[in-house]
Amino acid sequence: MQEKLNDILQRALEELIKIQNKDELGEFKVKFLGKQGELTSILRGMREVAPEDRPKVGALVNEVREKIESAYSAKEEEYNKIELEKELAKSAIDITEPGKFHEKGALHPTTRMFNKLIDICVAMGFKVVEGPEIETDYYNFEGLNIPKNHPSRDMQDTFFITDNILLRSQTSSVQVRSMENMKPPIKIISPGRVYRNDSDGTHSPVFHQLEGLVIDENVSMADLKAMLTSMMKKIFGESTKIRFRPSFFPFTEPSVEVDVSCPTCHGEGCKVCKGTGFLELLGAGVVNPKVLEMSGIDSKKYRGFAFGFGVDRFAMVYDGITDLRNMFKNDIRFLKQMK
Amino acid sequence: MKVTYGWLKDFVDIKISPEELAQKLTNAGMEVEEIIYLNEHLHHVVVGKILKIERHPNADKLQICQVDIGKGNVQIITAATNIFEGAVVPVSLPGANLANGIKIEKSKLRGVDSEGMFCSGEELGIDEHFIEGGSVNGILILPESFKIGQNIDEALGLDDVVFDVGITPNRPDCMSVIGLAREVCAVTGQKFKQPDLSYVESSIPADISVELKSQKCSRYMAAVIKNVKIERSPMKIRQRLFAVGIKPINTMVDLTNYVLVEMGQPMHAFDKKYIEGDKIVVRNAGDGEKIAVLNHNTYALDHNDLVIADAGKAMVIAGVIGGTNSCISDETKDSVIESAVFDLKSIRLTSKKIGVRTDSSARYSKGVYFASAEKGMKRLLHLVSELKIGTICKGVVDKNFGAPKTGVVKSSPSEINSILGTQIPAEKMVEILNSLQIPTVLEAGVIQSKVPDFREDIENSYDLAEEVIRIYGYDVYDKGEAKEPYLGWKITEGDVGEKLTLERKMKDALKFAGFFEAMNYSFIPPDAASKLLLSDNRRFMIKIANPLGEELSCMRTTLAHSMLASLAYNFSVGNKAVKLFETGKTFHPHSLPLTELPEEKNKLSVGAYDMEFAEFKACVLSEVTESSLSFKLVRSHEPFLHPGVSADIVDASGEVYGFFGQVHPTVAKNYDIPKSSLYAEIDIDKLLSLPEKKFVIRPVPKFPIVDRDLAVVVKEEITNEDLENAIKSACGKHFYDVKLFDVYRSSSLGEGLKSMAYNIRLCDENKTLTDEEVTDTIAKVLKALKFRYGASLR
Repeated sequence: MQEKLNDILQRALEELIKIQNKDELGEFKVKFLGKQGELTSILRGMREVAPEDRPKVGALVNEVREKIESAYSAKEEEYNKIELEKELAKSAIDITEPGKFHEKGALHPTTRMFNKLIDICVAMGFKVVEGPEIETDYYNFEGLNIPKNHPSRDMQDTFFITDNILLRSQTSSVQVRSMENMKPPIKIISPGRVYRNDSDGTHSPVFHQLEGLVIDENVSMADLKAMLTSMMKKIFGESTKIRFRPSFFPFTEPSVEVDVSCPTCHGEGCKVCKGTGFLELLGAGVVNPKVLEMSGIDSKKYRGFAFGFGVDRFAMVYDGITDLRNMFKNDIRFLKQMK
Repeated sequence: MKVTYGWLKDFVDIKISPEELAQKLTNAGMEVEEIIYLNEHLHHVVVGKILKIERHPNADKLQICQVDIGKGNVQIITAATNIFEGAVVPVSLPGANLANGIKIEKSKLRGVDSEGMFCSGEELGIDEHFIEGGSVNGILILPESFKIGQNIDEALGLDDVVFDVGITPNRPDCMSVIGLAREVCAVTGQKFKQPDLSYVESSIPADISVELKSQKCSRYMAAVIKNVKIERSPMKIRQRLFAVGIKPINTMVDLTNYVLVEMGQPMHAFDKKYIEGDKIVVRNAGDGEKIAVLNHNTYALDHNDLVIADAGKAMVIAGVIGGTNSCISDETKDSVIESAVFDLKSIRLTSKKIGVRTDSSARYSKGVYFASAEKGMKRLLHLVSELKIGTICKGVVDKNFGAPKTGVVKSSPSEINSILGTQIPAEKMVEILNSLQIPTVLEAGVIQSKVPDFREDIENSYDLAEEVIRIYGYDVYDKGEAKEPYLGWKITEGDVGEKLTLERKMKDALKFAGFFEAMNYSFIPPDAASKLLLSDNRRFMIKIANPLGEELSCMRTTLAHSMLASLAYNFSVGNKAVKLFETGKTFHPHSLPLTELPEEKNKLSVGAYDMEFAEFKACVLSEVTESSLSFKLVRSHEPFLHPGVSADIVDASGEVYGFFGQVHPTVAKNYDIPKSSLYAEIDIDKLLSLPEKKFVIRPVPKFPIVDRDLAVVVKEEITNEDLENAIKSACGKHFYDVKLFDVYRSSSLGEGLKSMAYNIRLCDENKTLTDEEVTDTIAKVLKALKFRYGASLR
């Protein structure tokens, strides 16, 4: 009996090795493990075995069966795997075909820069305040220490509707409105659209600014420098440097132009920064005490600083856009590049 | 403002290069926008002396010259005829790039080497203004006194460098050579050399009187110069004027311009014989009074304009331009010189009104201080007596309304440091202020600065702080000398605000739905209203008084024009499947012309072509469903939309929150866009006025949901909404959901009929529905549809 079983095991393992396909594997299963299979027939012949030997023989048969089954399973697993792979290969698609649902669109570069700047400022404790685009002369000029017919009006070509109503030429108009309505500490930003009567390759009659204003008791130029440095680092990277140059705005004193190290060449000098290593990107300064007083804030107690970004220009520098005209043309061949 | 390096040197010793100086000035707030090297075409041109002239062996018209150029001799072949042995001439050497574009290289002329070229005045870009013989047709023969081998620009005094400086409006005093020279002193630590204001008067009394009849002139000074020599000015004056962009004319005119540039004081010279009654009257013009001026135009003035007149006629539009009736000419014998202070607003208005801008009006428009008139006059008289171009009469007339008081500004080092957030030493502050010629002392911790007459911009501590920091240097903040940032600040809460938050949500949703954000000007053309078929009562648009052009002259009342124009642009360049959106303001006047600020509304516009209406609709409505608006759709009456393929989004009271649809075929034609173009507009402000969106949560069904599909044939005019509502109510408490999944039209159904196929989902809260109950409910539905809408089962 023992021999017989060993023989079955031997043959089964040999046959298993020779098997070429899944059909043969099926035949193998019937032959050795099936109801009419060889092992089953041995069990059927158990009657001929002495009763005292039966458990032993039974155990032997089971042992052989387990061995064959396990060898069979391994082989079967092998075939399943091959077959699955075949199937997977067959069902492969062209992954470069366009996806369905919607191809994603994109936000305008100016909006993306606005979002960036606003998020940075809000995280620093600024509140967003907006104001009208059609403004009175007072809020756009007089309240900012720019009297009628004053030379400082020459700094901005303004669109007028009437003698006293105009298209705001700067978001600083919102400063005045806010100072009238709020009590210090004031920490606001006013994003928005502004207008200047000027149109050429580098000037758009419509563009966007983000103005920041801080009024509190212990405010100085040093805080302004620290805050702008930190903002610019958040936009252009940790290695960014800024530099102040004296300038003039009627509503700040002292006033500065703020140069930011060129994000393209990191200050080495390149085409973007015309070899200077810096880009003139914003204006800022300590709020002129006259402006505070005009809006009813005690300039003896409080001091402020203000800064203004040209957001379109920031966006252009950030995205490497060289032609201003693209910003208002809405050609999807341009907009698609910012997906 | 243009000044030259050499001119500045008259008033301060400069020991650094023009480039270094430019950098220092820029760092101090006097931005040098450009350094102009006047005569680059004179480089590689030197003074040479012709030693020997021989005939060229191979050419009749050429001569071979041996020329001493200082560091050796060169051989030059020339066809020039006005040269001679011993002549001192300009010699251009290889590398030179002359004014007329000729580049000089070593060459061979008919077999003989030539190492350069002799130059004419024209080739050097100069004329009689620069040197005698400059305009002669032929080689420029230089004076024998010229040093052989010297660069020609140095020899001719043309080696000066021009700075173009951007002067900010608070510093009109720097619109002058002396003003910038003061800045140079402060940034270089050198002493300021005061301009020489001395002059020699004759004993002849000045026979001129002045009457001030207008407050717009706070000071008027007049001097008489007899026997003036009207001729060409000395070389230095002509060269300097030329360098800063002023054309030299004659002694008298040149001197007035020279003083304008140098001192910042506009001057005017009259021919005395045309001043009727030897009397100058400063008065307002009469309404309609006409004057012919030096630009060959005649202007009609009014009482807002100031004129300088004699006993009768107006002779000058004050501060702007002189008249032809009294100007200096070659025949002028005696001259009257004006040096005055006019109200800057008056000059600005007149200059703007008549559209004439001169060096004088530009200067007056920025403000001229009271003492300037006197300094300018004295400087001019100094130059007259130095150059001996006339006899100065005794007594300069000076009529004025009194000098303004100059004040003292008090501050303290601690206040200045507190503004700046710095620790600049007090002595350093005092030193800087004094270097700027703001006489300053420090006594008992108080800084006292006497404001000089030319610095009317200095009023308080902030102004002093600015003076200190711009000279001390803004790099103080990079040296760790500044105060700790945000020390003593109060905490504030950041807030993006509701409007921006909603706008961002909408924009992001549209972005993910495949739309691109557009940005248009807020301007539209006046004919936009008719292109959009707007009714008359919607054509009130705010007009800009000074637009860039008719096309950009009105403020938009709808975003539709901009959007359709953007679609049109994309269509015209062949872009396919265009989907755009824009947020922006529309402007609605309460009355026209504007007397108060108009209403501004925040809107969202969406536009597309090559897109299915159903998809577009879903995208637009998904914007609205972000808000709490419970809306319904009604047919839209927007004139620029297709009346059958458009809808208004309204609330229960009929208030319109937005609309969407296919554009009207006529509008599509007007804009040259595809007929199937789609447009939508949503009123962001109205959505913002709604309360926050709240949800009513139903329990999730405990028992199975049963699906049944049902297709019915109805007339075209029956809407989906009708059928859905009917199905819903017929299902009663078994209703769970209903969805239209197919619409089918065919001739076999019949004209004017359509088949609508619905997926109806039924469920009961308390039990599993039996087949019988389901069949029963569907039968009820069918009955209701049949009864109410004449539907038949398909």
